[in-house]
Amino acid sequence: MQTTRRAHLSDQVVRVVFSICAILLVAVIISVIVFIGSKAFLVFGQGATFKGFFLGTFWDPTGAQDPTGNGNPTYGAGGLILGSVITTVIAIIIVAPLAIGTAVFFTESAPRWFVRIMQPLIEIFTGIPSVVVGFLGLLVVVPLLRTLASPLTGNLPTGGFGWGAAIVVLVIMVLPTTMSISIDALRAVPGSVREASLALGSTRWQMMSKAVLPAASAGLGTAVVLGFTRAIGETLAVALVLEGNQIPKNIFTIQVFFQPNVNITALIASDFGETSGASQNAYWTLAFVLLVITFIFVCISRYLASRSVYK
Amino acid sequence: MSVQQQVSLAESQERLAALKRLSRRLGVSNGIAIAVLWLITILVAALFIFIIIRLLVEGAPTLVKASFYGTSQAGIAPELFNTFYILILTEIFLFPIALAAAIFLVEYSRQGRFITVIHFAAETLAGVPSLVLGMFGFLVFAVYAHMGTSRLAGALTLLCLNFPLALRLFEEALSTVPRMLREGGLALGATRWHMIRTVVLPFALPGLTTSLILTAGKIIGEAAALLFTMGLFNPSNVFTLNPLIASDTLTTRLYYIKGVGAGTLGLTTSQESALAAGIAAVLIILLLVINLAARGVGRAIQRRVTAA
Repeated sequence: MQTTRRAHLSDQVVRVVFSICAILLVAVIISVIVFIGSKAFLVFGQGATFKGFFLGTFWDPTGAQDPTGNGNPTYGAGGLILGSVITTVIAIIIVAPLAIGTAVFFTESAPRWFVRIMQPLIEIFTGIPSVVVGFLGLLVVVPLLRTLASPLTGNLPTGGFGWGAAIVVLVIMVLPTTMSISIDALRAVPGSVREASLALGSTRWQMMSKAVLPAASAGLGTAVVLGFTRAIGETLAVALVLEGNQIPKNIFTIQVFFQPNVNITALIASDFGETSGASQNAYWTLAFVLLVITFIFVCISRYLASRSVYK
Repeated sequence: MSVQQQVSLAESQERLAALKRLSRRLGVSNGIAIAVLWLITILVAALFIFIIIRLLVEGAPTLVKASFYGTSQAGIAPELFNTFYILILTEIFLFPIALAAAIFLVEYSRQGRFITVIHFAAETLAGVPSLVLGMFGFLVFAVYAHMGTSRLAGALTLLCLNFPLALRLFEEALSTVPRMLREGGLALGATRWHMIRTVVLPFALPGLTTSLILTAGKIIGEAAALLFTMGLFNPSNVFTLNPLIASDTLTTRLYYIKGVGAGTLGLTTSQESALAAGIAAVLIILLLVINLAARGVGRAIQRRVTAA
């Protein structure tokens, strides 16, 4: 009798402890939002305006680069936000067809030996450290772009750094993740959909494009959105190949892709640790902007996932 | 033969020809599409293989030097030590907490609003950029909790970062256990916890081990979350188990050498590049080993458990 009671008691204790662990996860995300949110709006109380922050293009929260020499800080994050958005959007435009094309081929018509080679390769690459990809960018991408773009930019020692290299690096970082989620989405489509299409006399390509892709569209959308979320938060890979402090003046020319430039994450990584107090508050606002963007994209991906027929 | 029949014969021949044209056109477009897909896939595969080989080749001359494994400026002994230290320290927090949460979600709670909330929280947390989580860790653990930039703050930040991934992996591993086994255990009068300990956990062990190794890969490769929580520098007595000292890891060291700290190490540019290439190669090798281990270990345990 006593052992039964003790067993039940321990069962109850374990249940409570385990539920606390699960609730801890909710506590973490809420405190991330609360703590970063609590710091996010301080900068607007110390001279920055809403409009100036999001549309200004001169980023100098410490006042060290103040042209008048008075050390007045300037909070213009427009260029940083533009950098993050442009590199991410172009990278995703390149990644989406590549990832979906490979995933379709992979699930629908690749020979089995090929799948057996590629599967571990994709798994390895989803976990590749971003700093290693950044180093690869310095090693291969930057010199390559410097040579390719030299007719445009002239022979600058800093040529090749910038948005162009950042886009290439982001593609390498995001492609494996997007690919493996796309593969999962396509594998979730039941075989009967394919058989029905083939039985009606369609070719393999018709089966893929008219039956399987539409059936998996919501899942593929989730894959692309999650790729976007990863790309916008990607830090070290991008930070190593950007090398800039300010957004260049010639923003509407093609050269802008091949000279040192900025985005949100690279500047936080290089400067946040060296600032304190009032000038640090501006970086908290940037972090909050990133947090809000990723939160919106997580909500979109969740909405898409809830609409998908096959899970 | 009547005129009508002749007309219908000609019509059907025409229709046949049209059908043949259509099927040829479909066949050609099918061939083109498959060829394009082959091309894309092979390009991507070649890119992946090129990247791995290029990094290994670049690092190989450094990897064979003994001084690379020493404690000098050009050596990585402290970083190797720190990387594995922080890996173990993080797993000490991560494994029990994430496993407990996964057990609660899979075994104890019923499907409902509570699970939805936790899954939504997990997805949101998984979407938070590691850099932002690093800033959060800096604020909460290093500043508010007075840990300073330290290994403990870094490990706790990595706990927050990897919690969603570990939870999802553990949940998947637990849900492979057949329901019948659970019901059998409960029907014999065991309490839920007793049943989980004696039935579910042993059965899920291979999956849990694989998941553990996969999270280890994530922890070793992480850098952005550690920049502000663990710092970029080592104190002189780095080879201690003291969790309250700042230290760098292989990844943050690589970032420091090629990024903010370039030219401040007292090394020539070519020495810096060689060191960075060596670290990148070590990281790639660790990644390969971890992936192989995740496959092999899970299978080996499975064999032993099912054979016993």
